[in-house]
Amino acid sequence: MKRYTTIALAIGALALGACKDNPVANPIDAPTVDQLTGSLTRTSLLQITIGALAQDRTTINDVQFAIEGGIFGRDVYRIDASEPRYVTETLGGNPDPGSFAGGRGFAGFYTAIRAESNILLALATAPTTIFTPAEITAHRGFIRTMKAMEYWRLIETRDTVGTPIQTDDPAEVTDVRCKTAVLNYIAALLDSANADFASVPATTVLPVKLPSGFTAFGRDYSVVSNLIRFNRAWKGKVDFYRGLDRKAYNAALFPTAITELTQALGGAAPGAVAAADFQKGVWYVMVPGGSENQPNLISDAKIGLNPLAHDSVQAGDTRGNKIVARSVLSGNGISTTWTYTGAVASTANQALPLPMIRDEELVLLRAQAYIEAGQLANALLDINSVRTNYGLAPYAPFASKTAAIDAVLYEKRYSLLFEGWSRVDDLREYGRLNATYLRKELPTDPYNAALPLPRPELDARGISSNPACTP
Amino acid sequence: MKIVRSSVLSLLLLSFVSASAFAQTRRLTGRVTVEGSGEPLVAASVNVVGTALGTYTDDQGRFSLNVPEASSTLRVRRIGYTQKTLLVPAGQTDLNISMARDVLQLETQVITGTATTVSSVNAANAVTVVSGEKLNRVPAQTVDYALQGKVPGALITQNNGAPGGGTQIQLRGVSTLNAGFQPLYVIDGVIVDNSTIGSGLNVISQASRTNFSSSQDQDVNRASDINPNDIESVQVLKGPSASSIYGSRGTNGVIIITTKQGAVGGKPSFDIVQRFGTARLANKLGLRCFSSAQEVVDAGYDSTGYGAATVKCHDYEQELYGEHPLNYQTLASLRGGTAAGTAYFISGTVQHDGGLTRNDNYNKQSLRVNLGQGFGSRFHARANLEGIHTLTARGISGNDNTGINPYTTFSQTPSFIELRRQPDGTFPRNPINSVGNSNPFQNAELIKTPSEVYRLLANAQGIYNLMARERQTLDFNLTGGLDTYSDHSEIISPATAYVEQVNALPGTVFVGNGNVANATLNASFNHHLIRDAFAATTSFGYGQVRRNVDVLTNTGRGVFPGVTNVASATQIFTSQNQVLTKSSSWFIQEEFLTLAERLLLTAGVNSERTSNNGDAQKYYAYPKFSASYRMPTPDAIDELKLRLAYGRAGNQPLTGKYTFLTNLIEEGVTGFRASTIKGEPNIKPETASETEGGFDLTFLTGRARLSFTQFRKQIDNLILSASVAPSTGFSTQTINGGQIVTHGTEIELNITPIQTGNFSWISGTTYASNKGKVTRLPVPGFIPASGSFGTRFGNAFTQQGQLVTVLQAINGCTALNSTGTSCPSANRVLTFMGNSAPDYTMGFSNDLIFGQFKVFSLFDWRKGGLGVNLTNNYFDLTTAQCGSTVNCSLSGDTTAAAARALAFAQGKAVYVENSGFVKLRELSLGYELPMAMTGKMFNGHASAARLEIGGRNLATWTKYTGLDPEVSNFGNQPLGRFQDVTPYPPSKTFFISLNATF
Repeated sequence: MKRYTTIALAIGALALGACKDNPVANPIDAPTVDQLTGSLTRTSLLQITIGALAQDRTTINDVQFAIEGGIFGRDVYRIDASEPRYVTETLGGNPDPGSFAGGRGFAGFYTAIRAESNILLALATAPTTIFTPAEITAHRGFIRTMKAMEYWRLIETRDTVGTPIQTDDPAEVTDVRCKTAVLNYIAALLDSANADFASVPATTVLPVKLPSGFTAFGRDYSVVSNLIRFNRAWKGKVDFYRGLDRKAYNAALFPTAITELTQALGGAAPGAVAAADFQKGVWYVMVPGGSENQPNLISDAKIGLNPLAHDSVQAGDTRGNKIVARSVLSGNGISTTWTYTGAVASTANQALPLPMIRDEELVLLRAQAYIEAGQLANALLDINSVRTNYGLAPYAPFASKTAAIDAVLYEKRYSLLFEGWSRVDDLREYGRLNATYLRKELPTDPYNAALPLPRPELDARGISSNPACTP
Repeated sequence: MKIVRSSVLSLLLLSFVSASAFAQTRRLTGRVTVEGSGEPLVAASVNVVGTALGTYTDDQGRFSLNVPEASSTLRVRRIGYTQKTLLVPAGQTDLNISMARDVLQLETQVITGTATTVSSVNAANAVTVVSGEKLNRVPAQTVDYALQGKVPGALITQNNGAPGGGTQIQLRGVSTLNAGFQPLYVIDGVIVDNSTIGSGLNVISQASRTNFSSSQDQDVNRASDINPNDIESVQVLKGPSASSIYGSRGTNGVIIITTKQGAVGGKPSFDIVQRFGTARLANKLGLRCFSSAQEVVDAGYDSTGYGAATVKCHDYEQELYGEHPLNYQTLASLRGGTAAGTAYFISGTVQHDGGLTRNDNYNKQSLRVNLGQGFGSRFHARANLEGIHTLTARGISGNDNTGINPYTTFSQTPSFIELRRQPDGTFPRNPINSVGNSNPFQNAELIKTPSEVYRLLANAQGIYNLMARERQTLDFNLTGGLDTYSDHSEIISPATAYVEQVNALPGTVFVGNGNVANATLNASFNHHLIRDAFAATTSFGYGQVRRNVDVLTNTGRGVFPGVTNVASATQIFTSQNQVLTKSSSWFIQEEFLTLAERLLLTAGVNSERTSNNGDAQKYYAYPKFSASYRMPTPDAIDELKLRLAYGRAGNQPLTGKYTFLTNLIEEGVTGFRASTIKGEPNIKPETASETEGGFDLTFLTGRARLSFTQFRKQIDNLILSASVAPSTGFSTQTINGGQIVTHGTEIELNITPIQTGNFSWISGTTYASNKGKVTRLPVPGFIPASGSFGTRFGNAFTQQGQLVTVLQAINGCTALNSTGTSCPSANRVLTFMGNSAPDYTMGFSNDLIFGQFKVFSLFDWRKGGLGVNLTNNYFDLTTAQCGSTVNCSLSGDTTAAAARALAFAQGKAVYVENSGFVKLRELSLGYELPMAMTGKMFNGHASAARLEIGGRNLATWTKYTGLDPEVSNFGNQPLGRFQDVTPYPPSKTFFISLNATF
């Protein structure tokens, strides 16, 4: 009997040891996505917000956005002896979806969108013991606005190719949506964000400390009152381009755009925006070196300015000071002796900030909206308020819509030189991205207006070229 | 009921009982001696066949046993001696038995479970057992070096020649792409860690251009801490057919180490070994000499200083790597037992091995205490404890982007420039700016790279006998252990070094602290039932393993000269890596021996769950089935055993379960966002199934033995990265999919062609070959995550239908450029160059004993295999690159360098070379001192003394043009091991030793 007792005790000990074993070991090395929903704290909300914003910055601080937009807009050259595709796949041919020229500026934005969607999911379960409901709502509006901005960047670069709209399911690959559908989605998202802002006191401050690009450039955008202006700025821009869409021109949107842009400009009347406010807005602050390593990519010895951009500057325009002479940069059939001051390779230029959206652009967009809405006089006021700031004589009233468009395009070109894809957006939608208005840079110049879907996206869908978009 | 145990066979269960008082018995006494010499044979087991009755011989070789009155068969066994079975007729009460030495080591105990063993006579797997004596014939720094050439099917390759070790063991080819690829090490039943903690060399070499450790740090894997001298035997389970008992750690094979134990009843013996040795540079590349200042100028270099130079041509390699270090090793061990049932083995080691450069060395001290104690007749306990301390300084080698590597400097510094230490203690500044003015001699003196490890290996075992009948026993076995170590690495590169002065923030300090702990606990019941027709061993049990890793590193840049405190740096970078893994398993196993011990059938299953799996609660089953049959043979053949085994093991996913948050920094604030690598919440372990069959043939009256094995191993559910649509926000997704199938053959022939009184020759030859193919890959072909330098030079590639170890490189041009001197990138032809792993490997070991002299040699032959000799690329410059019409290469053979440079530009894979070789791994000559001399030397206390001289890696025959065909810049990785980038040169070591036994 004693023997069997021993045996029984031993088995019991064995079983007991087995039961106490908890097989799960939670990851201790790094946080995981599962930990986002649950108990959000101020620190974790700050970190995931910074993560999304940093992802956005990384993506625009890349060839596709910072440089290629300028090349497609025929103001920028990048000539690299060891990488001829900067010319052959932009000005000399179509960008290859498998190369950097055609394949970038896509995945990064979708990673940012995923990050922003995760923040929205986390906010949905944020504890009200740590955050006030107003803070949660305000932050939600902010993230929605940022998310809408990511989609804007995707559609302005892909244009009629279209782009997919991501869902919350990480495994779902959605249809490629046509431009109108995407723009409508962006508009709806911006309006829902605005509704969030409207539902909280205008003095509400976001529960996180935003990077200095949001606070140090004349306006503190962590306050809801300024976030509304930020939101309306994007909505105005989006509504303007929705209206101007050459395939789906919609004049009804221009008055809406005017109202929104005016609200973004703090209610300023046409021509009443002070020159001191032109630089105010949201910027990307670049930090070269260290572990952050985000130098402004435009600071690059292989970048130059299309000589036409230098030659077309009107006499006396102080924006011409943005252009400096440089040693000859030539290759692949093009050459130049001019460059942008910020493109001169130097450590100071590597730390130059890039604008996300600022008042000068809004003034000119409003002018464009006035023109399309038939209010040429108001457009004149806004255009002149910009011109005169740069030492140019104000225009006399415009004789025609075309003359007004020519005028505003000139102002936009030199006010927003090296600031992204605006010029391409304009030339494209006004129908001027062709041989009638622009010289052929190379015999095989295809007048590229948009990028393709990148090769990994096509491969994942099992297709070899851009599909027909779903309306 | 009396139970007698011996701790000679520590982990196991040769458990005997005495006859019960109820049966009719007689007392049988006798003496067991060694055939030929007549010496008493201590601790031989004597048991009555068909029962659990038995005992062990004492230090006089005597035994005394109660056996049944009727005629009984007695079996006498002892490791190292051929077992003997003899009939003891009724009435006989005394007998003498002589045992012949098992020269070919035909009989050992093979471990088949946490607490079960089987005689190798019956074993159904091709398990290789290497005795401690065979392991340590010629001293080796680490246990993996000691195993080279001795285990067929094991490819043991050195990573570089720096002191302290650093090898990779691949058993039966490559078994994974992205999961763990190292074999499991088990010491005395406890899992022991073999990871590699980064030494931080990357912070000064900038091989990976980050501020942290990288895979190019030329690190040492921690299995090198194991002291080969404490090992009683090493058993290698080569594949899943044998290793399913280790569940999801068993895919890559298991190396089971048993340490020495004391012997109850044995006289205490004290062994001391004192060795002295040295190392020499084994191979040089050769550098260019200039015979005139004009020649220097023609080659495109500045000839300033040529005229004044006292030495016009420095042999930099010999100057830097020409140290003749004095190596020494002292081993002392005490082994014995007391009458009270205590068995002890205590050993200590002190070792110092110098490197080929000043200030490079390897130091090890260890102390081991193994105790075994019987408590009464039912309970036996064992406790082993070892403390190890190693201090290694490996210097600078491997890939670099700063010019700090000596060969980088030599490839760009003309050989008339004096770099050595001057009489006043200063070092000349290297005028060559492209290598950062680096002076390797100054670096060797000023830059410190110490790595210090304190390690504790502890385990304890208790065996309680629950039932002890004549023909049935039941034991409960509880084993537990801990392996824990702290690995403290530093890199101190002072601002006064010339190579630091070109940095933006001169002066670098790296401090890394790794803490690793592995804890194992196993409990099992073992039931042994003996009947006339069969003997059945049933065991079942439960085990738990827990692993904890925490590595914290700090890198400081811009450190005040003379200060080594990382916190005082101008810029500090921190990184931390933590891992926690828990697993638990249940197992059951049945071993059924029948048909007069001819047929052994085994069936078992190990069911395991691990926290790394997607579903941490789910148990995965790893079954095994095997059968072996000892055929009845004609007289000419002693033994013919046919064996067949099937087993399944697994490989845990290391990561891949979670979607982590990656950190990005914005204006100094760390933010997190979801990684672009999507995890698989349902990730499963990879499963490896292996079918192995073969035969073992013993003939020529035990003087020859042939083993033949063939296996097929299939690995499914390979963990892979599949691309996903970027519009989801992710770029890759971890999946289970894919399949590798490996076939292989292993042949082993051991013979003693000559065995006369005074002269014997024992020869062993092994042959092993295996080929693995990627038979299914659900994603497009890809370059595996292992390190490489791209297809221009050669890298591994994973593609369905290709060998898993295939090497891919650009080799050919559809159309050269107009001058025929280069190949435009669009015209380059991507080719599969062949198998980077050897076609086959063979080992040749020979023991010649004549009288008191013994000569031993071991040759290691690897046929085939490809390597990528990137070191040559450092020296190859085309005349166009030189900017002159005369070749500017600083290689000793400028013609070859120029030809290679041109061929490379034309798109040929010139750096892919055949890396096969024959190496004389071990050679030793020993002399057993005659008793007369021994007596005089040690005042009559010594019972034996031996003098030995010998060496390791004494000669290499190879077509490979680099320093050593055994090389891996990226250290241990599953694929793409063959990258040779300015490594530490190989060395040959010599030693002389005196062994004395008291």
